[in-house]
Amino acid sequence: MCVAVPARIVEIRGGLLPMATIVVGGHSRECCLAYVPEAVVGDNVLVQNGFALEVLDAESTRQTLEAFASVGVVFDEEGVDPAVS
Amino acid sequence: MSTRFVLDEIVDPFAARVLVTRDSDGHIAHARFDLSSLPRIDQLLAGKPVVEVTRVVERLCGICPVTHHLAGVQAVESLTGVDVDPAAGDVRALLHYGSVVDALAVHLAARERTVAVAARCWGRAAMAAAGSPQHFPTTAVPGGARSAATEADLAAAIAVAPAGLETLTRLAADQIGDRRREDFDGWNLALTDDDGRLHPLGSRARVVDAGGDVAVEVPVGDLGELIVESCPGQPAPRPYIATGGPDAGRYRVGPVAQLLAADVATPRAADLRQRWLDHRSAAAARTIVAVAAVEAAMTLLEKGRLLGLDDPGEPPVVDGVGVGAVDGPRGLLMHRYQVGGGVVTQATIMTPTAQNERWLADLLTHALRADHGLEDAVRAADPCLPCSSAPPGAMGLDVTDIDGGA
Repeated sequence: MCVAVPARIVEIRGGLLPMATIVVGGHSRECCLAYVPEAVVGDNVLVQNGFALEVLDAESTRQTLEAFASVGVVFDEEGVDPAVS
Repeated sequence: MSTRFVLDEIVDPFAARVLVTRDSDGHIAHARFDLSSLPRIDQLLAGKPVVEVTRVVERLCGICPVTHHLAGVQAVESLTGVDVDPAAGDVRALLHYGSVVDALAVHLAARERTVAVAARCWGRAAMAAAGSPQHFPTTAVPGGARSAATEADLAAAIAVAPAGLETLTRLAADQIGDRRREDFDGWNLALTDDDGRLHPLGSRARVVDAGGDVAVEVPVGDLGELIVESCPGQPAPRPYIATGGPDAGRYRVGPVAQLLAADVATPRAADLRQRWLDHRSAAAARTIVAVAAVEAAMTLLEKGRLLGLDDPGEPPVVDGVGVGAVDGPRGLLMHRYQVGGGVVTQATIMTPTAQNERWLADLLTHALRADHGLEDAVRAADPCLPCSSAPPGAMGLDVTDIDGGA
């Protein structure tokens, strides 16, 4: 499945392909904002494979993170292979 | 016990990778798209109460949440045998149609910006009119639907529909003449209604061969037996149609397969389909399916029974096997839940991306041999990744030689 993760934008760098620094699970990452040009610093966005797909409100962000937690998924810097035992 | 997903594999840019094997003379023997970045979430549903699964499943997919939402709810309903109120069925269908047009907008953004904006505007208005204005839908519940949509929401969707239909019809007519033809010698799978016409929430699954003849047709409830995974549980499960076997049973899903499998029920899209059959480009197929979506949605909006839905209440929890299927923007998505004691004991989510892997492999192999059209191949098969809708030249495909077989 095309798993996407909520993340918060902490910095935006403009340009032809605007990029952002995001925070997810307490870790910093980068993503491209090409699909969500309206996003601003402080927004929560849904991120998959280097791209922000959608701006999420706080409630959607909370519910999405809860959904992942309910099936036992955590997003971590030092993970193991995403295989289910 | 928790399952850790490495951030690198979900969040970081995925080098959209094409894996190539060569023969002893160095010629391209086979190419395939690397699906290893798409984890199998269905395996994580085992052990969870089935009433919780429907509430979370649509949150696990970022690109096509509506399709997963509807398929998951249908799977639970098929367990209970509950009949869905026709008005609730209309609201769900409207939600789906909105998602189809919204998905098209992403593909059009780079080259048809005005049409893309109009498509997104209408798609979002339709989904709001179906009670799901946010990215993650909430409309469908087992046994029915709930919607806080108002008369104003419906009016907003109705107001922009005619212009949107005209725009999409013109675009489809322009695209039909595209010389790129997405041939495939495998089968084509799509959902139909009981009359054999395309219906994204239909009750029957139809498979047609490359010549257009029906190879097999089953109720949606039998999809779990019809579709067999060659590599069970893998991100690339290599499914095939059981009656054809692992090789002859290879198949594809999506707009091209849909238009080859059955007639369209709505007039403009039906006319476009007839003209399309001589050309068969994937881009035109996507737009024609969107035209059909808008036409069907306009009928639902005018029928006027999308508000004031009754809450069906929690359905009884029943053990057994439930199957839900939706022919979404990228093709048929199946959710199959095996339930015992109210808990999911085994779940299978068969995505369009997994089902189209072999078609995409054919397209990539052909494109690499011709040294042309690699990005077009990916756009045609439309794997559920952000790269599929990247602007021309920006897909970032990484072609890598690998040893051994595919």
